[in-house]
Amino acid sequence: MNKYITAYYNDEEDLLKGIKQLKSKGIDVADVMTPFPVHGLDKALGFRRSRLTRVAFIGGAIGGLTGFLFQAWVFTKAYPLNFGGKPFFAVPSFIPVTFEMTVLFAAFSMVIAFFIRSNIGPGAKTIIHDERSTDDRFLLVVDIQEDEEVKQVEKALAEAGALGIQFKA
Amino acid sequence: MENQSFTLPKKLINVAIGMVIIGLISLAYGYFGGLGGERIAANLLMNNVYFLGIALIGLFFVAVHAIAESGWQVSVQRIGEAMSAFIPVAGVLMALLFILGGMHALYEWTHADHMDAILLKKAAYLNIPFFSIRFAVYFAGWIVLAHLIRKTSAKLDLNGEIFYFNRLRMLSALFIVFYAVTSVTSSWDWLMSIDAHWFSTLYGWYIFSGMLVSGVAVLIIILFILKRMGLMTHVNDEHVHDLGKYLFGFSIFWAYLWFSQYMLIWYANIPEETVYFYTRINQFGTIFYLNLVLNLIVPLLLLMTRNSKRMFLVLLPVAIVVFIGHWIDLYQIVMPGAVGEGAGIGLLEIGLTIGYAGLFLLVVFRSLSKHPLVPKNHPLYKESLEYHTNY
Amino acid sequence: MYVSPIREPLIKGNKDYSQVTKDILAPMAGTPSKYWYMGMTIAGAAALFGAWASFMTVFYGIGTWGTNKTIGWAWDITNFVWWVGIGHAGTFISAILLLFRQKWRTSINRSAEAMTLIAIACAGFFPLIHMGRLLLGFFIFPYPNTRALWVNFNSPLLWDVFAISTYFAVSLVFWYVGLIPDIGTVRDKAKDKIRKAIYGFLSFGWTGSAKHWSRHETISLILAGLAAPLVLSVHTIVSFDFATSVIPGWHTTIFPPYFVSGAIFSGFAMVLTLLIVTRKALHLEDYITVNHVESMNKIIILTGSIVGIAYLTEFFMAWYSGVEYETYAFFNRAFGPYAWAYWIMMTCNVITPQLFWFKKIRTNLVATFIISIFVNIGMWFERFVIVVTSLHRDYLPSSWTMYKPTIVEVGLYVGTLGLFFTLFLLFIRVFPVIAIAEIKSVLKSSGEHQKHADHE
Repeated sequence: MNKYITAYYNDEEDLLKGIKQLKSKGIDVADVMTPFPVHGLDKALGFRRSRLTRVAFIGGAIGGLTGFLFQAWVFTKAYPLNFGGKPFFAVPSFIPVTFEMTVLFAAFSMVIAFFIRSNIGPGAKTIIHDERSTDDRFLLVVDIQEDEEVKQVEKALAEAGALGIQFKA
Repeated sequence: MENQSFTLPKKLINVAIGMVIIGLISLAYGYFGGLGGERIAANLLMNNVYFLGIALIGLFFVAVHAIAESGWQVSVQRIGEAMSAFIPVAGVLMALLFILGGMHALYEWTHADHMDAILLKKAAYLNIPFFSIRFAVYFAGWIVLAHLIRKTSAKLDLNGEIFYFNRLRMLSALFIVFYAVTSVTSSWDWLMSIDAHWFSTLYGWYIFSGMLVSGVAVLIIILFILKRMGLMTHVNDEHVHDLGKYLFGFSIFWAYLWFSQYMLIWYANIPEETVYFYTRINQFGTIFYLNLVLNLIVPLLLLMTRNSKRMFLVLLPVAIVVFIGHWIDLYQIVMPGAVGEGAGIGLLEIGLTIGYAGLFLLVVFRSLSKHPLVPKNHPLYKESLEYHTNY
Repeated sequence: MYVSPIREPLIKGNKDYSQVTKDILAPMAGTPSKYWYMGMTIAGAAALFGAWASFMTVFYGIGTWGTNKTIGWAWDITNFVWWVGIGHAGTFISAILLLFRQKWRTSINRSAEAMTLIAIACAGFFPLIHMGRLLLGFFIFPYPNTRALWVNFNSPLLWDVFAISTYFAVSLVFWYVGLIPDIGTVRDKAKDKIRKAIYGFLSFGWTGSAKHWSRHETISLILAGLAAPLVLSVHTIVSFDFATSVIPGWHTTIFPPYFVSGAIFSGFAMVLTLLIVTRKALHLEDYITVNHVESMNKIIILTGSIVGIAYLTEFFMAWYSGVEYETYAFFNRAFGPYAWAYWIMMTCNVITPQLFWFKKIRTNLVATFIISIFVNIGMWFERFVIVVTSLHRDYLPSSWTMYKPTIVEVGLYVGTLGLFFTLFLLFIRVFPVIAIAEIKSVLKSSGEHQKHADHE
């Protein structure tokens, strides 16, 4: 099991400053737990833009095509029926269902991909380092590879103004 | 940051005047080349309505953001205000068109000699005196309110007094109420009554949504020209992104209204309604479908990603396409009824539009050069500078 | 992010993050107040009335309703459209206002969305019950069956099935994704084991990891982008139910945007009705302030005026079209036997919201509450007018007739109201009514504390 150090800040601006300081010392922050999305944290941690939007696009395209082609198949091949003299291949009539299917598939594929990517889901077990990290604390996690690092990281954290520094193994 | 006032560059004036001359030449060509009074009148009406609509959207843009107290748009507010300077010019040109025989050429209901039963029923609304009164009321209201809004905004710029800020909001609310009614009724008067027998309740909103898209497109184009001139340095990617979102979103909104109108008429299949689309699809088929490609498919596909909305490299071409697209939309609205089979896109159509665009540019840039481009005393200006969205 | 000092704070009182958590979770703790029980009793009784009416409908059939051979659609569809309309505010608030970066939405979006979901459930009840055989409700979906039959994709009623089920599903997901971080907070604040286990399960293992937040923000935005046209599409498709027909008064092209506007109008009225009471009862005045109410009132003016313009446009076009059936239908609406309903609609929907032009009225909670009730009533009558007046005198004068609801129909309507309030009362006990994380993210820029600091 890996070892790590946790520490927290009481304010998101201190957190951002702290992360910057740690980075300049070459210490990588493994994870940050915050009670709300902190503006600028993505940049500080060097996250890339999420690619979930592409999942939504692909999902939506599949949904829309499925919806449209299915309707076209039903009306022209499977069971052509004359409704009020309308053409069998009645494109304007297909638009609403096509649209709804697009939205449905896009939304669901993206959200499901989000859960899978983030490893969360109904009843998922995750480690909660500090119960106040969903309340008012901004928690930092630094991974430790070798035992010698512990002191050094703890010192750096203290210098960066972090509180409640704890070593966990 | 400096005020960014600028004097009109000679080059721009020359180009714009050149465009106007092209317009005049093609008008003369139309007149002497025997293209017929109907086609000339229809072209004049169409361009007039188009650029008037864009000018009104400039003002609408300012007004809506003023009452919504939005911060970001303060940085481009001047462009919207300047666009509205074209309203009086359009008013004069349109009055001239109607006085000099345009009405008779365009509107069947003015022909007192062959009115049918349906047109007689509508005579209480569609008659020349009432039409003229409405015309006068629209332009009086628009011109006065546009003038007041521009003046108040300029005063707000001097010292940022909250009094003028509130006054601007009040005037904006007034304009929006007035515009909400007049944009609908004016579209009935000038456009829907070309096909005098036909009617559609959605029509006014459909026209408005098209103007909204082209207004935003023109705003983007003007912003680009100003940026090329080395001005508007305070406008950053975030603002461009927001304008891009507008262009994207409103294009979809326009398509929604297009579909609503088309689908309901197609579905119910009542001859007195379907006649409108029947002539358009059968006689103007290419234009009819091109309209959808340019105004829905292009912005939908090209502006979907975040990056494309932030880069002029993509946004500008899309804005130009959409600008042309809504011109084409208006073309298929006006021409089938006003000209019929003699219609076509030739030198007259293209030249006259270039002429109108030149005149529009001239008026708008002259107005832009009168006030500092940076409304730096606006109470929300700092918000506009410092904001950035994650999305 | 910089916020101009001329803006009013969105959150009153000098709150810090933990105070926000405490305030918003407070209504979930302890035993409910006696008002809650009172509300629950009344709502439950209404729901029981509805259960009786449903039983009568299913057991004896649709004959227990007042509909007849001319007026095949009346009470049932009126209620359906009314509820769907109410279900528009929540997703409008959380999707369209998110796209327009209206920060005030953070205080109201959670409860408005919950209201949306409940309202859609109430709406869905009506098409189901009118089938008479609830068990066969699944017939409306296209599924492979032994008769090799498919549903009619030309029918706007079928589009409704797709629109409303998609809308419900996507709204539910949108709402729940937004709720997950807050459930995490509830889990971490829970004292006893059972609560912790339940909310732990429901929180999907949320930790607030930066990477998760980053993705969460992205998908919230895209969901908003998807939900925005979805909101428009739902009532558009509901309006197609009427507008694709050739009934005078129904077939008019303005219906789609006009229905959408009316839906948002009625939805906001219902949000106001609920929240003005809720904020008081749950002591959330600091979060749902008079400013929020004022902002919502402005949306009421906007959408109410759009609806007003649409009424006038319809009326004008009925005359302008020169179609005598159309002209008569509108004349009959305004001056026929159902004129009273028409004028109730006009007064409630067009005139009362115009009172909000006065700042005094739109910042007055009592006045707002009363007007919001008026709008709710007015919007119900709008649907009643559209449905009944257009049908009761159609092309064939020999079958002209009148419609009167029976006690069973009234019961169904009252029953859904009961269901609505029951579920809403449960919601405020089970989940946080305000989006905690979202409030915290705007606390610094829009909280009162920060405002004072700026001025000094």
